[in-house]
Amino acid sequence: MNVKQLLPLALLGAIWMAGCQSGSKQYEFQGQVLDKNPATQELTVKHGDIPGFMPAMTMAYTVKDPNNFQNVKAGDVIAAKVVAAKGGTEYWLENVRITDESGRKTAKGGSVHRLDVGDQVPDLALINQDGKTFSLSDFKGKAVLLTFIYTRCPVPTFCPRLSGQFAKIQDDLSHAPDDFSKTHLITISFDPKYDTPPVLRKYGLAYLDNNPTGFSHWDFASTNASDLKKLADAFGLEYFEEDNQISHTMDIVLISPEGKVVKYWGTKWTTPELEAALRQQAKSAPAPAQGRAQRKAG
Amino acid sequence: MKRTVPVCFVLAVFILMLMLCGCSRRASEQRGEELFDLHCALCHENPVPDLKKQPPRLEKLFESPQLPSGEPATDQQVRKTVLEGLRTMPAFDKRLSDRDLDDLVAYLHTLK
Repeated sequence: MNVKQLLPLALLGAIWMAGCQSGSKQYEFQGQVLDKNPATQELTVKHGDIPGFMPAMTMAYTVKDPNNFQNVKAGDVIAAKVVAAKGGTEYWLENVRITDESGRKTAKGGSVHRLDVGDQVPDLALINQDGKTFSLSDFKGKAVLLTFIYTRCPVPTFCPRLSGQFAKIQDDLSHAPDDFSKTHLITISFDPKYDTPPVLRKYGLAYLDNNPTGFSHWDFASTNASDLKKLADAFGLEYFEEDNQISHTMDIVLISPEGKVVKYWGTKWTTPELEAALRQQAKSAPAPAQGRAQRKAG
Repeated sequence: MKRTVPVCFVLAVFILMLMLCGCSRRASEQRGEELFDLHCALCHENPVPDLKKQPPRLEKLFESPQLPSGEPATDQQVRKTVLEGLRTMPAFDKRLSDRDLDDLVAYLHTLK
C-alpha cells in the first residue's frame, strides 16, 4: 500500500478522532436564554428535548469561549452544540449562535437573590418522610448539607446524581461515629404535590439500602408551595413546572452548626469535595445536638 | 343478476390490510424507540454517575419469565414499573400517555 492509498484512511481516522473528543458526545441544542451569569460564564437556558442526553429542561450551561458568551443576552433564542463528557457529568456549550433576538426585552433579568455566605438560614417548617414537622433550626450544633430534588426527575446527572452522592456521604459518615453525630443531610423536594411523605419515604429508602434507621441522619422533606418558594429563593434555587415535569437548577448548600450559610455548589462539585467540606464544618460543632434526638424519639 | 367480487380483488384488499397492520406496528415500535432514547436510554444504556446500583440493561426483557426486579415479565408489570418507578428509577406518571406506554412496550419487545 503506497502513501496515496493510505491518505484517505488517514483522513478518515483524523475525522473520527476529532469527532471523539476524548470520549465526549455532541448534541444539537436549541433554547431560550433566561439568565446570564458573567461571573461563572454560564447561561441558564430553557431548551427542548435533546435525544440521548436529556428531555426538555431549564438548566445552566457553561460557554467555554468568552467571545461566544459575550454576544448572548437574556431572552435570546440560541442554537448551539452541547458537549457532554465524563458520562454526562460535565457538559458545556460550543458554537453558540443567536437565532432570534426579539425576546430580549421580555426576558427575565438577573438571578434570584439568594442568601450570602455568613447569613442565617430561614427557619421555615418542613415535613419529612414520616410526616413529622421540623425546621432547620432543629439542627443547630450540627453541620448540615442540604439539597433540592424531585423524585420524578428523569435526568440521571441531576436529582438521581445528587441523591446518589448524598447516599455515598451518608454511607461514609456512618463509619465515622463522631462526624456522623455532628452532621445531618436534608433533601428537599420542590414537587410537594407529588412528593408526599410516603413517596419521599419510598424514594429515601431506595438510597438508604432499604434501611429506615438512616432517616435519623438524612431527612427527605417538603413543605407548602409558599414556604418552598421562600426557601428556594433564600438558597438561589430556580424551578418551574411545565409539561408535567419540573425544570430546575441544581443547588447544594452547606450550613454551619450556627445555622449560617457556609458554601453553595451549583454546577461543579464532587462527592469527596462535599464530604470533606461537611466534615470540616462538623469539627467546629461543640457537641451532638440533643434537640434533634428528642424530636426523633417523639 | 348476482354480482360476485373477484377473488383477486379480495386478495388485494387482504394483502393491503396486512401491509397496513405491518406499517402500524412498525410505526408504534419506531415511536417507542424514540421515547426509549429520550427517557430510558439515559440510564439503561449508559452508566449513571454516583449511583450505587446501576440500572439494568433492557435487552431480552421479555425473553425471561421475570423482570430484573423479580416481578413477572408481563406488559402490565412493565407499564406499572414505568408509571410508578422502582427503587431509584423515577416514576414517569403524568409524563407518558397510554399511547406512549403502548409504543414503549412494543419497542421493548423488539430488543434482542
